[in-house]
Amino acid sequence: MHEMGVAQNILDIAVAAAQKEGAQKITRINMIAGELRGIVPMQLSFCFGIVAKDSIASGAYLNIEEVPVTAHCENCNSDFAVEEYQYICPKCGSTKIQLTGGTELRIKDIEIE
Amino acid sequence: MLYTYARNKTAVNIAAGGFRMKINVMQDVLQANDRIAAENKQLFKKNNNLVLNLMSSPGAGKTSLLEKTAELLAGKLRLGVIVGDIETTRDADRIAKYNIPSIQLTTGSACHLDANMVASALPHIGLDKIDVLVVENVGNLVCPAEFIVGEDYKVMILSVTEGDEKPLKYPMMFKESSLMIINKVDLLQYTNFNLEEAKANARKVHPGIDIIEVSCTKGTGLDAWIAWLTEHHKKKAGSR
Ligand SMILES: Nc1nc2c(ncn2[C@@H]2O[C@H](COP(=O)(O)OP(=O)(O)O)[C@@H](O)[C@H]2O)c(=O)[nH]1
Ligand SMILES: [Mg+2]
Ligand SMILES: [Zn+2]
Repeated sequence: MHEMGVAQNILDIAVAAAQKEGAQKITRINMIAGELRGIVPMQLSFCFGIVAKDSIASGAYLNIEEVPVTAHCENCNSDFAVEEYQYICPKCGSTKIQLTGGTELRIKDIEIE
Repeated sequence: MLYTYARNKTAVNIAAGGFRMKINVMQDVLQANDRIAAENKQLFKKNNNLVLNLMSSPGAGKTSLLEKTAELLAGKLRLGVIVGDIETTRDADRIAKYNIPSIQLTTGSACHLDANMVASALPHIGLDKIDVLVVENVGNLVCPAEFIVGEDYKVMILSVTEGDEKPLKYPMMFKESSLMIINKVDLLQYTNFNLEEAKANARKVHPGIDIIEVSCTKGTGLDAWIAWLTEHHKKKAGSR
């Protein structure tokens, strides 16, 4: 399950950032996860709870904001939401599109005590 | 008034004497992996290795393709293989028979290889004696695409005993792969797998994807795969 590996990375980054501020405890982690990443928030939260158990992030709330898949059409310059795996411009039908959202996997900020 | 949230999401007032603050982090979750992957990539470049990250569902034919590749590349390009598997070492044994450098990485419960695991194998495989290094990832369509290992290209195998709608169900995988190999075409007549549909679906998520149809057991289509390898190795060697 790749959620375990992802959870460990989240913990490492959050703990490093908290320690730099001399924090005793991390209470919340705010992150974003693009839909294309295939992250199941429930599973990730569960895994995070396990890997964080004996750390300063023990009991911290992992807030996962899911980012929908969006794209930009290089042909007609329109921006649109990709729905139902339709990687095609709804306006002009072009497949020359660049993803603009949906692949993120990033920690935004953390709350510490 | 300050609020924090416990795991059950109920608001808790910690204003009484509690010191709290928010720290801006803005870091990619997989940055540690990406950093090691970049180091691997440097090493590959120095040794002139074309490196492929080979991915598929379990049983789609990754090891079978590598066995055939070892046979067909003999005397042309020197192949090396790193195999990731959850427990056994059978795949590495299958490949070692062809007398090519191969290393098995046992991932335990992890469902993918990451850059660090691959890095651990590199000092032992003899990169200076390898032209094409293939990393056979753990059979899984979700996870491996997340963890780059320093590869030049991702290659994925879809076998006709899976569904032709797979590219739509696992778009990340197909989006990131430069080449999709459709394997087990010898079984097409026994399945309801629609070849054209599968290709159209793959191109929907990745318009520029290369597609090669093969049967590893019958040997059909493998010349196109060898040509793809040779061409991309030449490209890499030329870009030095
Ligand atoms: N009919 C048929 N079977 C194949 C083909 N390629 C592989 N197989 C079989 O599929 C099974 C799984 O193959 P393997 O290479 O171990 O898959 P891996 O898990 O992706 O490494 C084995 O029993 C192979 O003999 C093919 O082209 N046609
Ligand atoms: Mg295998
Ligand atoms: Zn358009």
